[in-house]
Amino acid sequence: MKNIDPKTITIKRALCPFCSFGCEFGIIFNDFGIKGVEYVKDGNSNGRLCPRGSAAAMYLDHPRRSTMPLKSGKAVVWSKMAKELRKVVGSPKSVAVTFDRNVTPEEYAAIVGFCDSVGIGYTASTYFEPEHNLRPFLEKPFAPADLDKAKIAFVLGDIFNQAPMSSRAIIEWKMKDKKNELIAIDSLNTHTAGFASQFLRVNIGTEPLLLLALAQENLDGVDIAKVTGIDARVVKELSNKIKNSSKGVIFASLPFGHTYDPGLYAESLDRMHEFSGMKVVPFVEFAGYEGSQPFVSIMEMVKRKKIKNLINFGELFPFYYPQLAGSLKGLNIYATSTLKHTDHTLLPVPLSLEKEGTVVTTFGKRKLTGNIEPPSGAKSVEAILSMLSSGSSTGKMPHAVEKKIDVKERARRIAEITETKKKSFKLVGEKVAYNFLGFLEGEILKINPYDATELGIGADDIVTIKSKYDAADLPVRITEDVDQGLLAAPAETPAVRGLFEYEIDSELQAVNFIPTEVKICRKG
Amino acid sequence: MQKRIVLDLDLCCGCRSCEAACKAAFKGEARIRHGDIAGVAYLPLACKHCKQPLCLASCPVEAITKDDNTGLVTRSAMVCIGCKSCAFACPFGVIDAPLVRHISQKCSLCADRDEGPRCVAACSSGALQWLSDEEIEQHEVGMRMVSKDLFFRRKA
Ligand code: SF4
Ligand code: SF4
Ligand code: SF4
Ligand code: SF4
Repeated sequence: MKNIDPKTITIKRALCPFCSFGCEFGIIFNDFGIKGVEYVKDGNSNGRLCPRGSAAAMYLDHPRRSTMPLKSGKAVVWSKMAKELRKVVGSPKSVAVTFDRNVTPEEYAAIVGFCDSVGIGYTASTYFEPEHNLRPFLEKPFAPADLDKAKIAFVLGDIFNQAPMSSRAIIEWKMKDKKNELIAIDSLNTHTAGFASQFLRVNIGTEPLLLLALAQENLDGVDIAKVTGIDARVVKELSNKIKNSSKGVIFASLPFGHTYDPGLYAESLDRMHEFSGMKVVPFVEFAGYEGSQPFVSIMEMVKRKKIKNLINFGELFPFYYPQLAGSLKGLNIYATSTLKHTDHTLLPVPLSLEKEGTVVTTFGKRKLTGNIEPPSGAKSVEAILSMLSSGSSTGKMPHAVEKKIDVKERARRIAEITETKKKSFKLVGEKVAYNFLGFLEGEILKINPYDATELGIGADDIVTIKSKYDAADLPVRITEDVDQGLLAAPAETPAVRGLFEYEIDSELQAVNFIPTEVKICRKG
Repeated sequence: MQKRIVLDLDLCCGCRSCEAACKAAFKGEARIRHGDIAGVAYLPLACKHCKQPLCLASCPVEAITKDDNTGLVTRSAMVCIGCKSCAFACPFGVIDAPLVRHISQKCSLCADRDEGPRCVAACSSGALQWLSDEEIEQHEVGMRMVSKDLFFRRKA
């Protein structure tokens, strides 16, 4: 560094916690605090960082960083909050404990142990992102050699925008040998699709059906070509090509609100793996944990007024799923968070970046360094738990229950949804690293030029999107990357996420966010 | 030795990591920005530190200067009056007309960082490279103006 006295500068190494890639960077501190991010050449990603990694310093230091417990936006001292929480867990039968993202395996063990020791029987995952279904695939970590050996690779979703750090290896692999084939599957035209040897642009939400067809699953009664929009001959040729191509790789990265059936998505990847032997590599932000119950049963207990208090560990729930508010009426929610929110009772916690412990990455387990101090008012999960009970115990970790799903029935359901053509628009979710939590750029809605002309919408206009839950104002980008009747927006902030419709998956007892019918009009 | 930022068109995946790195470091608008090129490509553009900079020629208060040794074209925030002349003069459109804090944003090639440009360090695909004139000449990237792979940049 020039111009600054080197003695006043410290660089603390840390592992980026924002996705399962686990890139390393340095956080630069000077006498005044956090100065920025340093790109460390000897780190896991050779210093390369996607927009989220570059924004890490902004996140650590964000004006909305939560530093005090808040009750509906009003600051409360920790001692008072602890007293209130102790009272709550004093009636364990009326309490549920849940967890979403930003929870290390060590913290998860402590949470489960705590619940066991105080007699809280209802624990559940509140991580409703589609990648939650892909957890089993993370058990077999990805090694770059897997791709080196491959001749064919599938990409589901826009991996170059979602996890840009994947791009180098994939592009180099493709350029290395002209015969290496990259096949992109998505309902939107994306940067990733632009790099592919073959782009299968499917009808929205039908990605799992195409995978099942490629895996030669018998889906009687479902006209795959009609439902997915991909010619039967193309599917057949490709399917024959991948049969027994055990050296292939499937990168799975479908985001929130992008597909109709996240459960079937995971199942179809499993079947593709069984059919072809290809390795499935999920690119996720976080994988989530198993609770003792599905969240759906907690919803039921809330409805029956049996559960009155819920303590969530993580940073998404309930703020990023505002549409669930209706079904959680009357519930008193205590939620840990790294950013300030005005609803519910908020408990400030450190970011993973500021923790010591383990993270599960696409490449296996990695250590968090704990080098960076959290804000003074933030308390670790362990500290919060020890305020609530004197003893500690290691609880039994719940294990995922094997669930069989009815593939044919689910395929038929997607076919039905896609066949009922409506005049309204469908909104699908995107994941774009540059839109990270709205820090770097607000969300932008993509609309097809024909639709824009018909609605009198011009470039850079602001439009209002209305779903049955809420409305949001977004600037538009007019592009053929989305088909007519389709709108796409990065589902990053609660304002956009809150537009999406959810469904209860009765077979898997899961909460799924799906492509959603919306109304659109120019603002003003 | 003059070094420049070079973009390998075959590698850029359009992720905007470069832009984010610049924006995060300078806490304002990024000085490397993405442009939609005729609906075919979406590529980052940064200041070329031109041999004969038109921005410099257009500046009424000589806020922009060129260092003969490093080739760096810099703009002094103290002198800049925010008249936007440079933004209109630059043939590459790399200076944004809506000015942040009423002064023009101008790439400094990260002269404050010994290791070189942050956008290059962050680039996820390795498309951005930091090369000397000699390296550019030896490197095929310097000559490659169009993609060598038929399928790249294909729009469906
Ligand atoms: S790719 Fe993932 S781990 Fe790497 S910088 Fe981006 S968010 Fe962080
Ligand atoms: S701002 Fe434009 S004209 Fe000026 S040096 Fe940079 S590229 Fe050249
Ligand atoms: S060299 Fe530095 S200032 Fe210039 S565009 Fe890159 S990051 Fe920004
Ligand atoms: S970081 Fe690299 S790959 Fe990404 S947009 Fe910039 S130049 Fe292209």
